[in-house]
Amino acid sequence: MLRRTEGIVLKTFPFGEADLIVTFLTGSYGIVKTFAKSPRKTRSRFGSSLEPLTHSKISFWGREDAALPRLTQADIIHPFDTIRSGLQCFLKASEVLELTLIFMPERDACAGVYGLLVSTLHAMEADCGAGLRVLHYKLKLLDSVGYLPRLKGCGRCGGDSESFHLSQGSVVCDACSKGSAVTFRLSPGVISLASNLLVWDTAKIQRIKPADGLVMELSRLLDEHVKYVTERELKTRAFRG
Amino acid sequence: MQGIIENLVAELTRLPGIGRKTAQRLAFFILSMPDAEALSLARAIGAVKEKARFCGRCFNITEQEVCEICSDDTRDRDRICVVEEPSTIQVMERVKGLHCLYHVLLGALSPIDGITPERLKIGELVNRVRNNGVTEVIIATNPNTKGEITAQYIKEVLSPFPVKVTRIAYGLPMGSDIEFADEVTLGKALEGRREL
Ligand SMILES: [Zn+2]
Ligand SMILES: [Zn+2]
Repeated sequence: MLRRTEGIVLKTFPFGEADLIVTFLTGSYGIVKTFAKSPRKTRSRFGSSLEPLTHSKISFWGREDAALPRLTQADIIHPFDTIRSGLQCFLKASEVLELTLIFMPERDACAGVYGLLVSTLHAMEADCGAGLRVLHYKLKLLDSVGYLPRLKGCGRCGGDSESFHLSQGSVVCDACSKGSAVTFRLSPGVISLASNLLVWDTAKIQRIKPADGLVMELSRLLDEHVKYVTERELKTRAFRG
Repeated sequence: MQGIIENLVAELTRLPGIGRKTAQRLAFFILSMPDAEALSLARAIGAVKEKARFCGRCFNITEQEVCEICSDDTRDRDRICVVEEPSTIQVMERVKGLHCLYHVLLGALSPIDGITPERLKIGELVNRVRNNGVTEVIIATNPNTKGEITAQYIKEVLSPFPVKVTRIAYGLPMGSDIEFADEVTLGKALEGRREL
């Protein structure tokens, strides 16, 4: 069966002499791994369409349950090559791609996350310093896969607390937290920044400039939370030194 | 008996791009080969592991301490061509007029795979530039995202040194039609245009 959709290249992996395994986040099928024949040859008809971040219209062929359907076509909608051409910007984008790969299920469409990835990449291309867009993407992604850390109200009783416990993925009040260690003391600013990011629209996120300290605090919290949930360090973090 | 073949299949699946099915096919092929041929294959693998190694200077593959290219006194010793894999050297050597030294990185940067500069031979390249009066580093990493960010990273770490860093041009493949090129390839080719 031939299926058509659009997708973003998350990752490629060389296979055999000139073939490539290409992992897309697609609009209609969630994450799909495909097999592309010979794109690494200089005269391949795939051209540059299988480079990471490329947004394309794609077709792939294979049985519904085929583990590795064959990619038959990829026509570029938007290449996002300006993100790829700067080392620092590409590092940021790589983190977005890695998180997507880790958290999004295969063959399970999530139009929300797909649209968000496309708009986040457009924002990064316009201004790679747009740190808030990356945070926004991380929060929304965690929210849609059910791993959003709970920053407001004790996870047990709902009472007030600023003590975040990594092991609970939540803030927990003193009365409920017997024995478990506090990992972060959250500042009030960080709690409202996180809840605002989840509801603000794209235009607002581009306008708002919160204090660097707050952005860093929230980034660090999300990094540690993701590490706890996935039980490993992100590969892209090795580059942050 | 079953165990011995199973063992060979398992060993073959360690090779890149070889899945279980292919490994089984190869194993049965090896089984049907004449003894002399099969044993010669086994010996060739043994010999490579015993004798072949990376050149201490450029990380090309060699049987000596220093490879043939590095020991060749007729070469341009102040130009180094940087490539990702030793196999690329053989291709570059077919180009007439390039008679320089090489440096093999043994890979390319890839954040999503956790391939950091420390995993490649970039520090060794910097040392060669620092100590050997190199005047030009030609970066011939692959024209894809990994090769491109690797080139940029090398340009950054070499910026303190009085060395010219050049990148091979992006262009359209010879013999192809422009109408089949995609916008990124064509854009890069335009960027690299030159006056006739
Ligand atoms: Zn409580
Ligand atoms: Zn050498």
